[in-house]
Amino acid sequence: MEDFLELTVSATASGCIYALMALSYLIVLRPTSIINFAIGEWAATGAFVGVGVLTTLLWPRLDAPYPVAVAIVLVVLGLLGWAVERLTVRPLVKRGAPVTSPILALLGVLVIFRETLTLLFGADPFPSPPPLGYRRLEIGPFAGAPQQFFIIAVTLTIFAGVWYFFERTVWGRAFEAVAINRRAAALMGINLGRVTALAFAAGAAVAGMAGLLISPLTSAHYMMGLPLAIQGFTALVIGGVGRVEGALLGGLILAFAEQLGARYLPIPSGLTLAFPFSLLILFLLLRPTGLIAPREVR
Amino acid sequence: MIRTFIWIAAIIAASAIAFVLGGYATDVYRKMLIWIALALSYNFLFGTAGQVAFSHFAFAGVGAYGVVILSTKLGLPFGIAFIGAMALCALIAFIVAVPSTRLEGFYLALATLAFAQLFTVLINEGGDLTGGTGGIAGYSLPSIFGLQLRGPWYTVVLVLLVAGTLLLLNRLDNSSFGRACRAIRENPAVAAAMGINVRRTKVITFTLTSTLAGLAGIAYAYTDNVINPPVFGLENVFLLLFMIIVGGMGRPLGAVVGAILLYLAPFFLEPIVGHGYLVIFGILVVLAILYQPAGLAGLIDRGLGLLRPRSQS
Repeated sequence: MEDFLELTVSATASGCIYALMALSYLIVLRPTSIINFAIGEWAATGAFVGVGVLTTLLWPRLDAPYPVAVAIVLVVLGLLGWAVERLTVRPLVKRGAPVTSPILALLGVLVIFRETLTLLFGADPFPSPPPLGYRRLEIGPFAGAPQQFFIIAVTLTIFAGVWYFFERTVWGRAFEAVAINRRAAALMGINLGRVTALAFAAGAAVAGMAGLLISPLTSAHYMMGLPLAIQGFTALVIGGVGRVEGALLGGLILAFAEQLGARYLPIPSGLTLAFPFSLLILFLLLRPTGLIAPREVR
Repeated sequence: MIRTFIWIAAIIAASAIAFVLGGYATDVYRKMLIWIALALSYNFLFGTAGQVAFSHFAFAGVGAYGVVILSTKLGLPFGIAFIGAMALCALIAFIVAVPSTRLEGFYLALATLAFAQLFTVLINEGGDLTGGTGGIAGYSLPSIFGLQLRGPWYTVVLVLLVAGTLLLLNRLDNSSFGRACRAIRENPAVAAAMGINVRRTKVITFTLTSTLAGLAGIAYAYTDNVINPPVFGLENVFLLLFMIIVGGMGRPLGAVVGAILLYLAPFFLEPIVGHGYLVIFGILVVLAILYQPAGLAGLIDRGLGLLRPRSQS
């Protein structure tokens, strides 16, 4: 039982990271129909920027306090997302290029980001200091690393914020309107270009936070992006692309399936790597809309 | 008639090169031919038919692992192992294609990416059968009808592989099937309204091109006489995709030019910029999509157009 409770904490923490990646896809996908595979590398960039600010990696004797690192990661990634949208996506959308064009261009962006990180920091992993230290933390019957609880708390805060944005603010309603019908939204006076730019900036900031949050557990390294990108869209497909809650649910289901499978199923540990892919294929075939269906268009 | 002559002359010229190259250059030349064969079939799938699939190298892997396992681990005669590996490719491709071609747009990309990753996990964890992370080595191409294909003659086989793939896909491209594929790429709903069976066309295209990838994989298995998992992973699929985008989507000429350029470029770039050549590839891809969607093939067309006298316009 104790074992199971500990597993619950660690699975919830991983699930939160997957959920943030899924959320990053979703924020861009809803208004633009573009699936941005580059967000994995943006998470890695977030991790490196964070580690750079927190330790003396980028600047001698910098080691800034954690909130400063969070702020810098959000701003830097937001700017990067905005710049990528301006430089690669907007010209294509303006030209009326098919929707696969920006998706392929973003694959090019993915490689540019990853290889630039490799050139800047080399192939060695960089340890990232956890903000709450290393002591084992117990909250009621649940026990785990402080970072795991920290991940869960920050993720829930981000999801609450994004949910509030989509459901309660004018800008969020504008996003939804664009997702439902681009042309009608434009006719209603919604600035499509601004919505797209904001979507990329916000998506990049969320991905960067996911990278920063997971870095104390895995350390920052140049190969961390692609697995996160794959886990993210698996979570997205499980939960459904229509709703913010879907991303959270999908991430948690994926992480629990992964960790419970690895712990209790009698199969070789290497084969548990096949779990998410099998789950992804199953969901694509049986329930391509995901578990939570998009809201009915009224 | 003249076309046939040009074809034969090109095949002879490409084969003749094999007999003058040294050991290292032969290796480079052979891999380049395999990249070209893969780029040609991928171009038909992705460029002409518009299916963004990430499974092409996985099918090359099915072919390579299939033929080696059937012939060395199960001891089947090479001819039967060869046919068996091809049949396995076609069968798996068909099984993947039937449900996944039903998926719209990038969902096909996700499904094929999951399949490709699943394949990598399986060959890594296959134990004795697949040799795990180390792969399989220490086998060689048996003699076929008493003929031992080795040295430059094996390179000739690879030239014929490229020529055969090119001929088959060119013929398909110019047939009503090729036009159906393009129509589906541009607008599936309109294509269906014109009486094209969209599902069937998509499934046939996916199965055929993936089986061609398997054939190239079989050819690869006997170039180094070593196969291991990383070759058939995602990294190479990205490179293949980039070759088509830079070369020119939907054009066999583009696939050939793109494959040659991106395969050879690292040999020149690596001494200068080290690993940074991948950044250059990424920038090239973004620039190609933004400013030259017709790729290098489009540039070549424009160059030839300038040379030609402007009699007809």
